[in-house]
Amino acid sequence: MTDTASTSPEAAGRELGGCPVTRLDVAPALEAGSYWRQADELREASPAFFNTFAQGYWMFTRHDEVRDIYRDPELFSSESITPWEPEPVYRFVPTQIDPPDHLKYRRILNPWFSPAAVERADGMVRALCRQLIEDLAPSGGCDFVTEFALRYPTEVFLTMLGLPGSDADLFVPWVEDFFSGFGGDPAGQERMVNALEGMREYWIAALAERRGEPTPRDGDLASHLLHATVDDQPLTDAVILDMLTVLVLAGLDTTRASLGYMFRHLATHPDDRRRLIEEPALVPTAVEEALRLYTIIFGDGRKVTRDAEFYGCPLKKGDMVYGLVSGANRDPRAYDRADEFVIDRTRNHHLGFASGPHRCLGAHLARREMQVAVEEWLRVIPDFNIASDETLMERGGGAMMTLLSLPLAWDAAS
Amino acid sequence: MRITVDGARCMGHGRCYTLAPDLLDYDDEGYVTIRDLTIDVPPDQIDAAEEAEASCPEEAVSLVRD
Repeated sequence: MTDTASTSPEAAGRELGGCPVTRLDVAPALEAGSYWRQADELREASPAFFNTFAQGYWMFTRHDEVRDIYRDPELFSSESITPWEPEPVYRFVPTQIDPPDHLKYRRILNPWFSPAAVERADGMVRALCRQLIEDLAPSGGCDFVTEFALRYPTEVFLTMLGLPGSDADLFVPWVEDFFSGFGGDPAGQERMVNALEGMREYWIAALAERRGEPTPRDGDLASHLLHATVDDQPLTDAVILDMLTVLVLAGLDTTRASLGYMFRHLATHPDDRRRLIEEPALVPTAVEEALRLYTIIFGDGRKVTRDAEFYGCPLKKGDMVYGLVSGANRDPRAYDRADEFVIDRTRNHHLGFASGPHRCLGAHLARREMQVAVEEWLRVIPDFNIASDETLMERGGGAMMTLLSLPLAWDAAS
Repeated sequence: MRITVDGARCMGHGRCYTLAPDLLDYDDEGYVTIRDLTIDVPPDQIDAAEEAEASCPEEAVSLVRD
């Protein structure tokens, strides 16, 4: 996929400070695991590359470099988070808002996704999860991705926001269509724009229904946002729409993706299944390890705000950089046995939820959803395997990797 | 031993209070409650405190060994 030798630095038309040049398209769907392998190869070849794809952008491949990008939002703006598209057609709030304003929006949302809120939701999360598994168990098999991993977090998420779980039927195709364009595939652009418009109309109707009420509806985020203020001013409808849209995109897609890779691991590692059944206290540790080793984030983009040298690379204002989270999380400079799933790993400071001010808002909820899924699934279906010899495929890393399908089988009588 | 969290660096990942639940607590937004505060670590919490320090993605947790 990479051709480090064939493109000369001059082709990029600028001073690269000796940084090797490559050309990498992160949009295509590939065999599952391909994007991690690419990140591993890039990281071991060089800490930095200039990728001539699109308008050209810097890629940083190792743990400390990626951590330091996240840590310096003044130099690395979130105005665009897709390095192949410096001027995106959408604006996510607070994802694409820089400090100091970022925190004002974030503080409105934090309590909805705090550990205390997740603790309060635990009964709901567990009940939804249990119901889905008990419905699937008698059939002896399913496509884990479409029949479980997509439905479970979607219903949890909509319920947490105070929306009908049945609206999952609307949101699931919107989210799929959005990510078909987000990862840089030109053929997906129209579907992405149409999905954004569909969600926008949904939220406009939801806000109209709630507007003018004297107090926010209990447990209803859209209603809550109509009553929220930043700098003593109410939020504009445009900002509210940008907030609700990114929450849906982030909340519905990412947990599905992480669950798929976690359960692929469990399906192919009976010893780990047995260990988690015998030592349930290890479930949170195992989930954390899945988030590290099987990170769904290939890389995270930022826009450079001023000319600066960063790890020897001469960055110019307006350049895009791509911190390879997949490279960082599997970097042997940062982790012992970095390429292994260590079920009881300690000192796990992975960047799977990003770091810095844009640390994943939904991290506490995602962890809980994954822990509950592992506990409840193993309780009902302790033994299962991958039901097909066909190659498993994953969506391109530009839109976050996710297994497109995971056919599982088990003994229905067990 | 004492433990502290740099309030400017802490981003609310929650690794510290998850790994040391008998030592650390969280607030309504999910931040650890000892930001910019220092507390004593009882002897039976030393392992948990060390794991919390090593697992913070922001390197915001510091131990002071007396």
